[in-house]
Amino acid sequence: MSGVLRLLLFQARRDRVALPVWILGITLLSFATSTAVATQFGDEAAQAAILTLAAANPAFLFLRGLPDGTGVGAVVFFQGYAFTAVLAGLMSTFLVVRHTRSDEELGRAELLGSVPIQRAASLAATLLLGAAANLVLAVFVAGAFIAAGLPAAGSAAAGAAVGGVGIFFVALAAVAAQALPSGRSANGAAAGLVGAAYLVRGIGDALGTPSADLLHVTSAWPSLLSPIGWGQRTRPFTSPDLAFLLVPLAAAAVLGAVSVMVRRRRDVGASLLPERAGRERAGVGGTSFVGLAWRLQRATVAGWCIAAGALGAVAGALGPAVTETVSSLGPVKELIERLVPGGQAGLIDVFVTALLGMAGVFAAAAGIQAVLRMRAEEAEGRAEILLSAPVSRARWLGANLFVAAVSAAVVSTTAGAAAAVGLAVSGTSDGPAWSLVPAALAHVPAALVFLAAAAVAFALAPRLSILVAWGVLAVAIVLGEFGELFGLPAWLQDASPFRHSSAMPVESFNQAGAVGLLLVAAAGAALAAYFLRRRDLTA
Amino acid sequence: MNAAAQPVIEARGLVKDFGRTRALDGLNLSVAPGEVHGFLGPNGAGKSTTLRILLGLIRPTTGIARVFGLDPWADPVSVHRDVAYVPGDVSLWPNLSGGEVIDLLTGLRGGADDKLRRDLIAEFEFDPRKKARTYSKGNRQKVALIAAFARPARLYLLDEPSAGLDPVMDAVFRRQIARVSRDGATVLLSSHILSEVEQLCDRVTIIRAGTAVETGTLGELRHLQRTHFRVTGLADPARLAAMPGTHGVSIAGSAAEFDADPGDLGAVLAGIAEPGISGLSVAPPSLESLFLRHYSDGNGEQRAGNGKDSSERTDSGVL
Repeated sequence: MSGVLRLLLFQARRDRVALPVWILGITLLSFATSTAVATQFGDEAAQAAILTLAAANPAFLFLRGLPDGTGVGAVVFFQGYAFTAVLAGLMSTFLVVRHTRSDEELGRAELLGSVPIQRAASLAATLLLGAAANLVLAVFVAGAFIAAGLPAAGSAAAGAAVGGVGIFFVALAAVAAQALPSGRSANGAAAGLVGAAYLVRGIGDALGTPSADLLHVTSAWPSLLSPIGWGQRTRPFTSPDLAFLLVPLAAAAVLGAVSVMVRRRRDVGASLLPERAGRERAGVGGTSFVGLAWRLQRATVAGWCIAAGALGAVAGALGPAVTETVSSLGPVKELIERLVPGGQAGLIDVFVTALLGMAGVFAAAAGIQAVLRMRAEEAEGRAEILLSAPVSRARWLGANLFVAAVSAAVVSTTAGAAAAVGLAVSGTSDGPAWSLVPAALAHVPAALVFLAAAAVAFALAPRLSILVAWGVLAVAIVLGEFGELFGLPAWLQDASPFRHSSAMPVESFNQAGAVGLLLVAAAGAALAAYFLRRRDLTA
Repeated sequence: MNAAAQPVIEARGLVKDFGRTRALDGLNLSVAPGEVHGFLGPNGAGKSTTLRILLGLIRPTTGIARVFGLDPWADPVSVHRDVAYVPGDVSLWPNLSGGEVIDLLTGLRGGADDKLRRDLIAEFEFDPRKKARTYSKGNRQKVALIAAFARPARLYLLDEPSAGLDPVMDAVFRRQIARVSRDGATVLLSSHILSEVEQLCDRVTIIRAGTAVETGTLGELRHLQRTHFRVTGLADPARLAAMPGTHGVSIAGSAAEFDADPGDLGAVLAGIAEPGISGLSVAPPSLESLFLRHYSDGNGEQRAGNGKDSSERTDSGVL
């Protein structure tokens, strides 16, 4: 046991920067959401207005969650819980994989495996560390709510609902790390499942049944398949019942036990999906920078395409269904007619637009991964051997940016095409379904700005580039999702590239905005090439 | 070897600082066309830093580096056209097979000679179908070596290339060095293994704490070394210490051991030639002692990397 404890302390020390950043970031977001809601929706009338608006709008339900009565706490939980839970899930996933499969892949686990401790001791330590991190997170989030003036009991329950979901994903990631051969694939699978949990909850909530006064929505059965859905059921600020957390926690216990059992029985380095033999010769394009960049990126693109495709399909297929459910209720129908010109078809457009906007974020993320792969190549020593070939650094950068841009375009196209197919199948559409493909592609110029930003960060501050590139995207998401809520000044909200891309099909295509974004992206790429030429390779 | 020709590699007064750490401290290096040049030094002496500067991967803080007469920082692409490089720590793409990596690296340089590629894979007994993730250190090294040798180059920059190879593979590697050298290529081989350099290299530069402390042919270096004497039966062994050119005299009973400077050998021999001596053994100068001296001197403070005490490095008076 002392071996586990020692490893636990060692792993905690390795995470002494990463974990505090995650925990404090989520805490800060919770605090900011609470104070913003308290100022903007202070009185019950304002709260009722926003809840009604949400209850009548499936896009809102899908993205945010379930309205659950008035009161600042209830509104905060409805606005922020699903996002916070996703962040807790991602924190847990990366934590677990970094200490398990990634260590194994890089040969560090072998070194630890040679000392007299149980084979699964390191995994047990990681599970404990993950649980501890989520406990701390729960306490901090509760503290943030209390600090913002929310009731203590509800705050504690809300913190627990966040931490409980985090613990579930600790265990799930541990299983993924046992099953998959590389840290990258384990992270991809586990983070994909976090996304799926959000998506499934979204479907359940979007199909939910509003109460007569439109202040509450009860989710449909699909949300029971998602740990985030279970966390949501605790209803911390309305009628707190933490018993619902027992479901994800029990699942976590089972998954954790399974992961430990698998680890005890398997060889170091072995996985459920074993490594297959590769090709003896490089294929067409396998001898160029573009070919290499694509080869390294294609699995990532495939992953994001699955996510974007699922999102698009939900947008297309579910849009008509949810709007029908909603508008079959008398009061909602009137409300919609007041709010959304064009009635039901307009409502579908709003839903589809919101989801395609999210697919734009996916596109940016896929591209950022391609750009940041250059940093991985550099830090892990492969850039050295690549750049000793008679090809310039600008060409290397260009090849990777090209593949990144193609990735963004492919992910967007997938989302648009899936939405179009969904709409065509469900048979409700007030325009040609194919027009959703250009609607999805309208977000690509904004995504390209993020790729250029990542490239500039890589050229100027390679060691910080990963943090900067994802940080810029995270800030833009927060500005986009919470900017209005926080009442941030317009110029700050306008700093997010996504504000300048066209929210089609609700809006029409904004050519000037797209050209502006493309110019910014091109300038960034040129700047990156300039600075990359002028710095040392840095491990 | 054509000593009059322009050197393939020319470095003068190279200094490289990483933050407050000085990795190179005024390094000079000259490698003539067709030469197999050994670049010897302990871990952390600055060998890899030098090679990276010669490739234009990093820029010297001060000093001049020329490869084929070109500045590798200003014009890396032209320099790289004729260079094959094997890094010290070979890191590969985990999800690519060895064969794919070889094709990628040679392809970026203009394509492999197919026959050479086949022969090298056979000679190195290498399985190109396995994913790089599964390769051992030696197999990763083989990938880099095969990629380097599968296409003719004018200059081979090899950073501790035989690390991780077993003796049989090491012999294959040496045959390849001999082959490219026969074809007229220049080789700069960094290493910390003396025997490897002794077998392969025409000339040697020894680097320590970022400065070249010795350079020359192996014969010249050997010539600079002291000869070890062991004499028994001297009437007054204590007088050895007073003789010019003797060092490290130790006396045990009737036996005396000491080292003698190459320039004073005649005087020393005359000095010990007396009727009573009953035994004499003379060990030729060994490079081993030279390296051990350079490797161990000031290990502690030298590896901190500040290189401040460079003036003390050649203090032994032999040089």
